[in-house]
Amino acid sequence: MTDEREITLTVNGTEHTIEVEPRRLLVHAIREDLDLTGTHIGCDTGNCGACTVLRDGEPIKSCMMFATQADGSEILTVEGMEDLPEAGGDLHPLQEGFREEHGLQCGYCTPGMLMSGKAILDENPDPDEAEIREGISGNLCRCTGYQNIVSSIEYAADKLDEKAAADGGVVAESGESDTGAEPDTDANTDAARDSAAAFDCGVENCCGGPAADSTYEHIEGPDDRFDDLNGELDRDTTEETDE
Amino acid sequence: MKAAQFEHHEPTTVDKAVSLLESLDSPTILAGGQSLVPMLRFRLARPDTVVDINGIDSLDYLREEDGYLKMGALARHADIEESDLIAEKYGSFADAAPLVADPQIRNRGTIVGSIAQADPKGDWGSVLIAHDGEVVARGPDGERTIPADELFLLPYDTSLGENELITEARVPIPNEREGSAYHKLKRKTGDYAMAGVGARLRFDDEGRIEEAGIGMTAVDITNARASDAEDRLEGERPSAELFEDAGELAAEQSNPESDEHGDASYKERMVDVLTQRALGDAAERAGVVKRRVTP
Repeated sequence: MTDEREITLTVNGTEHTIEVEPRRLLVHAIREDLDLTGTHIGCDTGNCGACTVLRDGEPIKSCMMFATQADGSEILTVEGMEDLPEAGGDLHPLQEGFREEHGLQCGYCTPGMLMSGKAILDENPDPDEAEIREGISGNLCRCTGYQNIVSSIEYAADKLDEKAAADGGVVAESGESDTGAEPDTDANTDAARDSAAAFDCGVENCCGGPAADSTYEHIEGPDDRFDDLNGELDRDTTEETDE
Repeated sequence: MKAAQFEHHEPTTVDKAVSLLESLDSPTILAGGQSLVPMLRFRLARPDTVVDINGIDSLDYLREEDGYLKMGALARHADIEESDLIAEKYGSFADAAPLVADPQIRNRGTIVGSIAQADPKGDWGSVLIAHDGEVVARGPDGERTIPADELFLLPYDTSLGENELITEARVPIPNEREGSAYHKLKRKTGDYAMAGVGARLRFDDEGRIEEAGIGMTAVDITNARASDAEDRLEGERPSAELFEDAGELAAEQSNPESDEHGDASYKERMVDVLTQRALGDAAERAGVVKRRVTP
């Protein structure tokens, strides 16, 4: 009952037609049928995000969908990054960022991190740290070195911003980042180390995780916003409660 | 592991899907696939046939219509997360969407699929209960609606018939004196809830609670309703004491299990706290109370 199906995938700008079984996962089609082994398989459960690719511009986990479901779509994998216009024929600023900020460590999660990083910057060229952490929250790093990864993506954001400015484009956000050619890496990493040290999810043996914020703040006592409000909750008195 | 072999169908209309479901042996419906695909790969599910509904474009919608917010079977978590309509009027949905798994999963996974999966740790069932929502199911005998309270039977088990397909989840459009919120406790970003509470409050002209809805996540064998807390709230004016009572009643009605993330008494206490917070946010969003500004 092996009914193979013919599907067409445009991967990194090149169209491929392949035959796949319905049960073949997209990640296997990419790695084995197209021989693009930059996309990794990590956990096999949809948790780790090493298999993240962009499908029609959207980050997805390629081990969580069948290849047939991607029929007709455009896929970007890590191999395609150097060919993107913003790479200018060299390393993509994100890849450069991972090199400069030591975002690779063991390197296994890096392709997925790069793809999530690309999705973050595509949506928001000037993300803050919390937004970056949220954006990579579907990607686990077993070296648990998220801080360098965050710094790498920040580096790329600054580089892309500079490039846009140099090209006469509009600088996305007139923030602190328009000071010069080199991003202020010292300041970045210092702040980064502080926040890395402060991060502790509180669970023994927990991997840490790239959480944007510790959910344990929820555990404090109930909030007190009604403490002084009893008896004065008529609609027309609500303004007075604001002082 | 590879999924076991299956026969694969991709209908492009609901009618076709329903007639396929009827004609096939133990078919499984594939929507977002973010729960199903791993289950297939671990062979926890070994269906002979998979009916992939992603090609049914008519199921891809998120809109207000006929007094309901209607979410089609192909509305993704990310669609809820990014919707201006949701952000403006549906506080509990806006709260819950970014708490579901991670960005990649939210791009693929669907709210209706999550409800149909009936995982007691799933967030959307609780939101649906809090809103007195329902699902629309299509089967060989036509269409029927199933209220949220009658949908969840056991973990991963619903009252849906074998050949039925949930085409839509929907909740009544809130009026201007209504607010809702969802609070969730989890170990880290991307995790399922250790405990979660969705709350909705509708007020009357006098500022009294006319209608209260509270749904709880991960603290019973299914998504569950905190009906005792709802009863306590209705007819009353909001106050810290009232919400404390409601929190206690919700905790009493919850039925969590001890596990490696915490023992049952801890989770009950969390239900209490989360209920109070969700009620506070719901009342605030209804415009009945304001957040106290501390000097």
